[in-house]
Amino acid sequence: MSQSMVDLLDISPDQRDTRLVDLRKVTKTYRGVHAIKDIDFTLDAGEVHALVGENGAGKSTLCKILSGAVQPTSGEMFIAGERVSFRRPHDALEHGVAMVYQETSLVPTMTAAQNIELGHERLLTRFRSLNIGAQQLLMSMNFHVNPTAYVSTLGAAQKQMVEIARALRSNARIVIFDEPTATLTPEETLHLFDVINKLREAGLGIIYVSHMLEESLKIADRVTVLRDGERIVTLDAKKTTRDELVKHMVGRALTGTQTRRRSGGDGKPQRRRKVLEVENLILGNVVRNMSFSAYAGEVLGIAGLIGSGRTETAKIIAGALKRNRIHGGRVLVNGKPVRYRVPKQAIDDGIVYITEDRKADGFFETMTIAENLYLGYLASRRGRKRWLLSRRRRAEIAREWTKRLRIKAINSDAKIVELSGGNQQKVVVGKSLVADPEVVIFDEPTRGVDVGAIEEIHQMIRQLADEGKAVIVISSYLPEILAVSDRILVTRFGRAVAEFSAEEATQEKIMYAAIF
Amino acid sequence: MGAVLAKARADGRFRLSQEQIILIVVASLFVVFSVLLDGFFTADNLLNLLRSVSSLGILSVAMAVVVIARGMDLSLVASMGVSTAIAIQLMRSELSTPEALLIGLGIVLLLGAINGFLIAFVEIPALFATLASGLLIYGVARTLVLDGLIVELPPDREFVRWLGQGVVFGIPAPIVIFAVVALVAHFLLSRTRTGRFIYAHGDNAGAAALTGIPVRPLTLIEYMIAGAIGFCGGLVMAGSVGGFNTQIIDGSLIYDVLLVVVVGGISLVGGRGGVLSVLAGTALIGVMLNGMTILNMNTHEKDIVKGLILLAALVLDNRLHPRDEETVRQGD
Repeated sequence: MSQSMVDLLDISPDQRDTRLVDLRKVTKTYRGVHAIKDIDFTLDAGEVHALVGENGAGKSTLCKILSGAVQPTSGEMFIAGERVSFRRPHDALEHGVAMVYQETSLVPTMTAAQNIELGHERLLTRFRSLNIGAQQLLMSMNFHVNPTAYVSTLGAAQKQMVEIARALRSNARIVIFDEPTATLTPEETLHLFDVINKLREAGLGIIYVSHMLEESLKIADRVTVLRDGERIVTLDAKKTTRDELVKHMVGRALTGTQTRRRSGGDGKPQRRRKVLEVENLILGNVVRNMSFSAYAGEVLGIAGLIGSGRTETAKIIAGALKRNRIHGGRVLVNGKPVRYRVPKQAIDDGIVYITEDRKADGFFETMTIAENLYLGYLASRRGRKRWLLSRRRRAEIAREWTKRLRIKAINSDAKIVELSGGNQQKVVVGKSLVADPEVVIFDEPTRGVDVGAIEEIHQMIRQLADEGKAVIVISSYLPEILAVSDRILVTRFGRAVAEFSAEEATQEKIMYAAIF
Repeated sequence: MGAVLAKARADGRFRLSQEQIILIVVASLFVVFSVLLDGFFTADNLLNLLRSVSSLGILSVAMAVVVIARGMDLSLVASMGVSTAIAIQLMRSELSTPEALLIGLGIVLLLGAINGFLIAFVEIPALFATLASGLLIYGVARTLVLDGLIVELPPDREFVRWLGQGVVFGIPAPIVIFAVVALVAHFLLSRTRTGRFIYAHGDNAGAAALTGIPVRPLTLIEYMIAGAIGFCGGLVMAGSVGGFNTQIIDGSLIYDVLLVVVVGGISLVGGRGGVLSVLAGTALIGVMLNGMTILNMNTHEKDIVKGLILLAALVLDNRLHPRDEETVRQGD
């Protein structure tokens, strides 16, 4: 426990200029899909290098590879000139790579000092020396944390301090910050920047991952923009602007994606019927004063960063939130206030929610396509009338919906687990549509879906609106939002902060609204 | 035994269902026992085997219903025992047989509803909820309701006696009742909406809820069905020995029931297997237990064998249906 800032500052000048991280053509694929592709990335000692990009751009994957949580599929990785391949986080730590997590990885039932010492314990620990060592380390960073306090009693900022101290305790030379300011107040953020500056002066290399562009530009020396798993550009932070970053982040829009959706018709329906109305909805810290409406015959796209309260709002509406503690606000369906405790009630009222994670709560893996679809029918109002099963009805439903949704399988008695992601998603959608809903909420409708099926699902979404249903599409993929929506809502920090019509919306406008 | 099954599965050469594999094992065991064990292949013993297996089979069908729904009812034997004992105690009074049976059924349904409530609404894991409720049920019944350890069936209650000792067309009544219970349960599970919901619940409770299945009321129904089926098993037991010994509740019967269910191929992961699996499991465990009795093994030696089979079956189950499947997600 003798390690402190004093020692860290003692890095000799020749060590200061070494290249701490050098990634060459690092690629990670999950089941044939690229999470990141041919990434080159460098980090020098005494440098803060920011990583920016949309949700799903590959930032987290890159960090996980660096910290040993995930192994790259191909590519080379050099730490301080030495070629390495980390098999587990412990290997990365031994090479001086430490990660300060977004959701803290501390043990809440231990004290701050015990957490800092975790993994470095000797056989016998003297609490006195443990606490004194921790105290010195914390003081050297100007952290006001009591080393004997239990972590569960600490605030977000203090927990982060303990994490940073723990990283330093393990002699880290490369520290990765993943969304470090997400839970901090402005003052705490300033303090964190002081700390990061100190680490930089001490010759450490810092990787700074954040959604907050201004912040990244302020603290970083260089900024790398990732998009769709590829490195787009690396810029000098002092010579670039936020606008330039956003352009690089969304780049796709400039290459021309389809932005109009109406297949027939030349604009909005004549008279819009308000089907769903959300008024000042509040749920803990996640949904704060959310208000919007959805109309029959219209696709409402909801864009926003992960954690901006989109999914939670949808789940409240559909009664799918496990502990549905609405703190305020109300939901009206066809003008009537409702509060569903379970999805069944919502489905009976014609509202279905199609999950963002079909493996977790989308389909029944032991069952066939036909059985999955038939269950949707059995659970619906119509299907509930009969207690006995009907094979004929099951076959009819399977035939009808595999045709309507273009589900591709040898036959409808194929097990659902044998299908591609796109076809699985179609079955999950079909299972909900069997109940003939009035409001359909899609949450990330094309996540993990093959390219061919994406377009088919988009067509289906548009068709549902054309049939007069109110459709809500939550998506982190902006081209998708632009491709299907009549109206686009942007959420930030649990509020609906902006609304665009399909004509006026662009990826840049949406990103601006979503970030600041 | 389990190792053989595992190997057969792992080889992949046998495209047999778990039930078929088990029935083959049962058949070979049967042949081996018939050749090697004196007194195994006799009319007396075989009849005895079937009779003793019937109540175990009925209880296993009950357990199967909740296990398919990814539940577990460790209080099954306790609620069965208590409700049966109370029904029989009531038969020692003025009450008519149907009245006593109805009250017993009412008690077992209530206990099932309580279990279901604890699991679905209070959200206690089924394993612990039923472990606790089982202790409680037996304790309360012994201290407040039941007169003694053993409740004797009065000789004039012929219906209950018939359930255990009667004969229908030359077939012992317990076997007939087992067959009826199995058929009804099979019909319920495979031909009715409730049955489909039970499978859906066990397969993926989250998806079941999102699909619009009333998962929490369904849980109550599952445990009530299990209780009711268990009550039938209790009556058969009581009828065959002319009374009910509540010490059974403290015994290892619940482990035998679990053994049958798991060995039969009803995965603890839920959503898999069916009444056929129970029949296969019952046949295997029935033959094993009978063989061990003839071999004059003591309880502890039997426990060793049972424990090993249960472990092997659980390992096999785990291999076939890994519980925390690695959900590979894309980063970010």
